[in-house]
Amino acid sequence: MGRLRQKGKAGAAKAYVTRTAAIKKLQCSLADFRRLCILKVPGIFPREPRSRKRANKGSSAPTSFYYAKDIAYLAHEPVLKKLREHKAFAKKISRALGRGEWSDAKNLEENKPIYRLDHIIKERYPTFIDAVRDIDDALCMIFLFASLPSSARLPTSLTENCSRLVAEWQLYIMHSRSLRKVFLSIKGVYYQAEIMDQTVTWLVPYQFTQNVPVDVDVRVMLTFLELYQTLLSFVFFKLYTDLGLVYPPPLDAKKDESGAGVGAFSLQSSTKSAVDATTQPKTVEVDGRKISGKDVRQAIKSLAEAVSQTNGEAAPLEQNAMEVDEEFVTQPSTSDPQSTASLTTLQALQALPQSLTTSLFAPYTFFLSRETPRSIFEVIVRSFGGRIGWPASSGGGSPFDETDASITHVIVDRPVVSSENETAEERARRSRRKYVQPQWVVDCINAGKILLEDKYAQGQTLPPHLSPFGEHEGAYDPTSELAGDGVADSESEIEEIEGDEEEDEQDEQQTEEKSALRAAANATDDASRRAAELAAEVAGVDYGTFEKQVRKSHKKANAAATGTGDDAEHDMNKMMMSNKQKKLYEKIKHSQNKKSTERATLEAKRKQLQKEKRKAG
Amino acid sequence: MDARSKQPVTVSALSKKSMGKRKQLDDAPAPALLPQETLEMLSDEEGADQAVSDDGQVDEFPQIDAESDEEDTDEDDEELFESDDGSENSFDRDIFPRPKTIISDITGQPKRVYPEIEPDYDSDSSTEDTQNRVGDVPMHWYDDLPHIGYDIDGKRVLRPARGDELDKFLETVEDPNSWTSAFDKTAQMDKPLSAQELDIIQRLYANEVPDAGYDPYEPMVEWFTGKGKEEVMPLSAAPEPKRRWVASKWEKQKVMKIVRAIRQGRIVPSKPKTSAKLEVYSIWSEPSSSHPPPLPAPKPRLPTNSESYNPPEEYLPTESEREEWEKQDPEDREREYLPKKYSSLRLVPAYDQFVKERFNRQLDLYMAPRVQRVKLNIDPSTLIPKLPSPQSLKPFPNYKSLKFDHPSRARCLSISPDGAWVVSGDESGVVSLWEVMVGREVKRWKFESKIGAVGWCPRTDVSYFVVALEETIHCIIPPHISASLFQSTKALLAPPTLPPPPETPSPVKWVSSTLTSDGPTLSVHLPPSSGLPKQIAWHRRGDYMATVSGSGLHGGVWMHQITRRHSQAPFKKIRGVVQLVLFHPSKPHFFVATQQYIRIYNLAEQKLLKTLMPGIKWISSMDVHPSGDHLIVGGYDRKLCWFDLELSAKPYKILRYHTRAIRSLAFHPTYPLFASSSDDGAIQIFHSRVYNDLMTDPLIVPLKILRGHAVKDGLGVLDVKWCPRHPWLVSAGADGAASVWCS
Repeated sequence: MGRLRQKGKAGAAKAYVTRTAAIKKLQCSLADFRRLCILKVPGIFPREPRSRKRANKGSSAPTSFYYAKDIAYLAHEPVLKKLREHKAFAKKISRALGRGEWSDAKNLEENKPIYRLDHIIKERYPTFIDAVRDIDDALCMIFLFASLPSSARLPTSLTENCSRLVAEWQLYIMHSRSLRKVFLSIKGVYYQAEIMDQTVTWLVPYQFTQNVPVDVDVRVMLTFLELYQTLLSFVFFKLYTDLGLVYPPPLDAKKDESGAGVGAFSLQSSTKSAVDATTQPKTVEVDGRKISGKDVRQAIKSLAEAVSQTNGEAAPLEQNAMEVDEEFVTQPSTSDPQSTASLTTLQALQALPQSLTTSLFAPYTFFLSRETPRSIFEVIVRSFGGRIGWPASSGGGSPFDETDASITHVIVDRPVVSSENETAEERARRSRRKYVQPQWVVDCINAGKILLEDKYAQGQTLPPHLSPFGEHEGAYDPTSELAGDGVADSESEIEEIEGDEEEDEQDEQQTEEKSALRAAANATDDASRRAAELAAEVAGVDYGTFEKQVRKSHKKANAAATGTGDDAEHDMNKMMMSNKQKKLYEKIKHSQNKKSTERATLEAKRKQLQKEKRKAG
Repeated sequence: MDARSKQPVTVSALSKKSMGKRKQLDDAPAPALLPQETLEMLSDEEGADQAVSDDGQVDEFPQIDAESDEEDTDEDDEELFESDDGSENSFDRDIFPRPKTIISDITGQPKRVYPEIEPDYDSDSSTEDTQNRVGDVPMHWYDDLPHIGYDIDGKRVLRPARGDELDKFLETVEDPNSWTSAFDKTAQMDKPLSAQELDIIQRLYANEVPDAGYDPYEPMVEWFTGKGKEEVMPLSAAPEPKRRWVASKWEKQKVMKIVRAIRQGRIVPSKPKTSAKLEVYSIWSEPSSSHPPPLPAPKPRLPTNSESYNPPEEYLPTESEREEWEKQDPEDREREYLPKKYSSLRLVPAYDQFVKERFNRQLDLYMAPRVQRVKLNIDPSTLIPKLPSPQSLKPFPNYKSLKFDHPSRARCLSISPDGAWVVSGDESGVVSLWEVMVGREVKRWKFESKIGAVGWCPRTDVSYFVVALEETIHCIIPPHISASLFQSTKALLAPPTLPPPPETPSPVKWVSSTLTSDGPTLSVHLPPSSGLPKQIAWHRRGDYMATVSGSGLHGGVWMHQITRRHSQAPFKKIRGVVQLVLFHPSKPHFFVATQQYIRIYNLAEQKLLKTLMPGIKWISSMDVHPSGDHLIVGGYDRKLCWFDLELSAKPYKILRYHTRAIRSLAFHPTYPLFASSSDDGAIQIFHSRVYNDLMTDPLIVPLKILRGHAVKDGLGVLDVKWCPRHPWLVSAGADGAASVWCS
């Protein structure tokens, strides 16, 4: 006889623990448990057992479950130990202060237990790629907190650290030219960068004071922020050192005070390139799993840049020149386009689009007018190789002023105002430059090419700004021409007009006609058809139109018949589906219908709008 | 112990008088001692501050330190001693005798001399008054006695007369001293208080020392200290102990312990402070552990066109869409924002839900249970089973060829074995015989009660049908049959010699009626109160017939044998209410459907073979495949179960396609077809191919939904039967129509 099985000793009852049980086991408070869960995100999170009843020993009370193994794992967490120590510390210090034992309190305060999160980072992200893949949320958070006003809950040091991280990230993005897409949404600006073959997307709010709503628990956000700051520091360290730059980049306090923003930090290459050479292979080993051609190329590029950086400002120009040279070399062979196309290697294919897009603005020099947000456009323009200047009202550190002759584009976001008292010089300058609205910059980036400036000129109604991230498959595409846009539309319109004219006069007659036609359509045998013909004649329809209508209605009827036949067969076959299949089928159909109706409504709206426009114009 | 913690003791040891000053002194350095750095635990800091201020307030209250007790008591002793010495000196001048200070002859010091006490009448007032000499005993001992004690001579001291309340009041009015008098217990009367006593009371009221002669601020008399009073000789002759001049061994051990710890690095003398500042290093340069990383959290969805600050106009919501969106709960909304269009970037306002959305994302990250789901990316049409087209499975009934109308609900019908005639019964008691081909009614019988069931005898050598009425079953010979057939039928139903009656008297009576051409030939009277027989099931040979009544003895099931004119109840007792019975087409098996189960009995061996569990709440109909290996069961809960009897007691297939209760099921005797009718007014035709190969599952293909019966009072098609030789179907509906459906 086998061993007797006791209830609750195996299976779901053992694999899951409730939150209360977990807290009891870990001997910490709920707040500490929450903090721990956040810090271990996303390693430890509630699980959904297949049967809640079985997992909770027969009770169906609403609780959250955790894996028992996860909790056992948490029990060995050094942070948990530190949290316990901190609890003891808090007791001790409050006791010392209560007793007025100041020196003891001071001693205690000096030896306060502080937890470190590096082991969690390492454990959560065993490789660098894992970390890069997961920094989206972290970036969003630091960008948000960098813009929050400091208060009792948010000390200035926190905000400062966040803005430092923000600046470091922007510097890296600009330096490595890894920005790919930008989207101006109603929530803020979405940026997408490609780092180590991973797309990183982050959202930056527009520059307004954000209010923290009362129903938001700031403690949770701060705990997340703690983790994210640590994560980003390590990630940035690695990114910077991989490019051969010094991390953290030294901050010029004077510039920072003048509001230079990103410009207050200076990128410095680590002194010895030999050191770089030794560190590079190491990183390759570390990354181990994934080394793409891009990585290698990036490394080489960084080496080259490290050398060129010493020359200072001239570096990007040189690089551009190099790139132009490369293109020039390839051009002679393009005399026969087919042959070059066949000759292109993989590397060339990889390299080509990137070099094209990342140096999109290289030939141009931009100037921001004072109403455009510098924080957005400085990063965008510079990470695509352009030069940018701004007026002193947007902060110091502009490389050139408004009168600079090299300026090709001015980004303006205000209506056209005719200025009479313009000097000749100003007018000349104005005619030399192109005045574009901010959307032009973003649309250029998303399109991957320089668009015509006319549509985006100052005071023009802008073309719609579309998401570069695309929609789900089969969704409505606003760029595509509607299927029946040209011909069918006009046809239907003509019909409508005709209908309008006729309807008034021939209402009765038409109903008669229609009934006759319907009869004809339905008529299958000759006799009834003849009868219908006669009826049509009586109604006053000439034979030609009658024939046509009959043919049409026949076709329609046939189509309907075949359609319905097929559908009916399908419907009947649905009977033979199992319940599970039936539910799945219904679900899929429901979502499909939803998508198609969404698409249809959008298309209908567009048609309506076009019609209105045509009527108006 | 460090010096600081000792400080309060030493301070308090100085003097009680400097207590207040000490507090002030102590308060001054307190803020300096408070840590300048902000503490980590904010709440603690606040609490501590509170505690400090509280502490200060509490300390202001003069309190004697426990440690300073000894010194204080010493001092008190001293003072007591001193006051003993000079108490008379400081007493009130009026009351107490004044001392004289003279120079002592012996010591040469000034000393106070009190006047001699003269032992005369006036000298000591204390002894004079106390007449009562009982001492300090509880005076209530004398409560019941006339006296209150004894005087010095042992004579009773009588209780002084005490007036009532009025006297007391008058006394207070008359006697000006009465307010300074108090009740004397030993004398049991009011006595005026002396000037001394009044003085003490006054002092107590004023919170002063009650003793008027006590001076708390007397200058200290230095007896053994001060200039010129140093003791020259030691008090003890004991030699100086060694510990005074040899270093302590134990102290040395303690110090060495610390020194060793410092040397070994266990104690760092000037340890750098723990700082919250993060030091970054190349964390990914060491090889990672072999643990697989936890699954990354799902990324939020990327923004679509509708989120743009300048979307195409068709994305903007209409007024109704906006209203609908605003009406919805924030959780139910498909999008958390309404698309908006701004003509330029500078007009875009702040997004008010930004922080909230970030927060929600974080809540999702750490609180939402995460489940990995396989995303199904399949074409839904592949889920529909591929079945042969109905076109390839012809013939099957396709359209309604004719209709025969009954005056009321057509309940039941039966088709003759040759397939030419239909007999149908309705609720008003009308039984009609009509032709399948043309629908012409040949004959009509009218009975007094409603018709429960009709059944045509399956024998071909005789021709008659059975009509089930309330508690009665009639056998009727149809008209227009050949003479020979009529003769044989008559011989069967009304034989010249009746078979011998059964040994045991049966409650069922067989009665031959008079031979009229249009009346029943033979009637079977079921036992009274057995109700309307709902079903008639014929055995394939046509000799036995089973009827099921709604109620009555033995589950209402009766088995009738025509040739022997004998009826018997096959079950003495049966569990559940019998709904239906059926004979197996080839074996001596008998199917009995109760409300939820189907039991199969072997009639020859008289035992239960198996119980089928269709999982239907209430079985309404059942039919067995002509091969006898398959059974279909329909229920009022819309389910149809196909049983493979060889396979299992659970259904092979459960179909649910009717929208209302299933009423009737029928297998075609020759064609691979079956039909089901339902209260939704539809008849569903299926192709059902059964293979001889046991491994191949039966093929069930839905062929056609026949509509045409109207639903009346919630009832649709009540009965369907197949023509035996054609793929034709005859149905009886609640709308009174009996229809023939042809291919």
